[in-house]
Amino acid sequence: MFIEKDEVEHQINVLKSAKEALLEKNSLVLTELSDQTLHCALKYQNSGSMTMAVVLYSLSKIIERKGYQKIKGWDSLIKKINSLFDLTIKSLEDGNQEAYEDYLMRVRKTLESNAGNLKPIIHDILRKASINKAAKIYEHGISLERTAKMLGITQWELTDYTAQKNYNYPVIDSKLKTKERAFMALEFFRKK
Amino acid sequence: MKAVIFDSGVLINMSLNGFFYILEPLRKISECKFFITKQVKYEIVDRPSKIPRFELGALRIKDLIDKKIIEMPDILGITDKEISEKTNYFMDKANRLVQVNGRWIEIVSEGEMSCLALSSILSERSFENLIGVDERTTRILAENPREIEKVISNKIHQTTKMVKSDLSEFYKFKFIRTSEILYSAFKLGLIGIKDSRALEACLYASKFSGASISFDEINILKRL
Repeated sequence: MFIEKDEVEHQINVLKSAKEALLEKNSLVLTELSDQTLHCALKYQNSGSMTMAVVLYSLSKIIERKGYQKIKGWDSLIKKINSLFDLTIKSLEDGNQEAYEDYLMRVRKTLESNAGNLKPIIHDILRKASINKAAKIYEHGISLERTAKMLGITQWELTDYTAQKNYNYPVIDSKLKTKERAFMALEFFRKK
Repeated sequence: MKAVIFDSGVLINMSLNGFFYILEPLRKISECKFFITKQVKYEIVDRPSKIPRFELGALRIKDLIDKKIIEMPDILGITDKEISEKTNYFMDKANRLVQVNGRWIEIVSEGEMSCLALSSILSERSFENLIGVDERTTRILAENPREIEKVISNKIHQTTKMVKSDLSEFYKFKFIRTSEILYSAFKLGLIGIKDSRALEACLYASKFSGASISFDEINILKRL
């Protein structure tokens, strides 16, 4: 099995809740569900969990900004997405990793291709959602490059975003103190 | 002979802040070489040069390579194979360090570990060298690996275990960040801004472009 049983159950519950939240246009619940998925994404580092976290976060943003009002046939789009979520649930129950990842990728593609003239905006929301999720994973102690790779973004994008977040890195109790490191660098560059 | 090996973050940081002008004089003053690995080059030149938003940044770094201000290790006869083998070795070690609920958490990638690999090869050849890395995980890995487990367990709220492993090979690496490079450049008169706030401005700029430095550390550096 690609992910453990308790995690399978958790993901199924997340997808079921997401279906309801989509019908109720509840962006807060979708954001919360995306965050919950992130822990699984970090633990398994699988593309399915990453895609799920990104898609749920993107949907929450579209609803929050009332973007759905501008998408023609929003209700039928949600119907399609929910059907794909049903198939994702089925693949999780069957332990079919390939299908699970494929259906989630299809959710993402469906969202992009059915956005009509909002396509560039939806594309941008998906990209920013990937960066947002990557920033959260980076906070979990995963290296910058590893995180960028997991979410399919560049280190330039991730650096740009995390730097703007003004994260105050704790002083790590390392073998080299701040002053010593600065002197080490200066001595290295000074001496010939 | 001396060398600085740059990871992606430092060059991205310097590009975002327009600090590439200090590299050539810094190299001349210190008579050292600046290197990047093939894996890092892919991340900061080859891949972003196809993305319009980052194309200019990527081309600026490519220009530094073309002008031989930053060099590839093959000029010292160090082969990609040598670097790849050591990279894989360090990756295996680093990615078999922390477990969450019994599963290994992959914490690092090729680019970062290729810097360690090159540093290790240069040390074997008696090259004094430093690794320029802005992101915190690689640095903590060598300086206080227990912190990695702390950071992960604090965030993930699941059973996290650090596996007892011989990390002594990681301890020999020496790291600097963009902040220390700018600090040195300032002390050596290479920043070229005549203002009493120039140093702190450089340090803040490095922080807000990806260097994992705290405000407390900036305050310490400002007073040195």
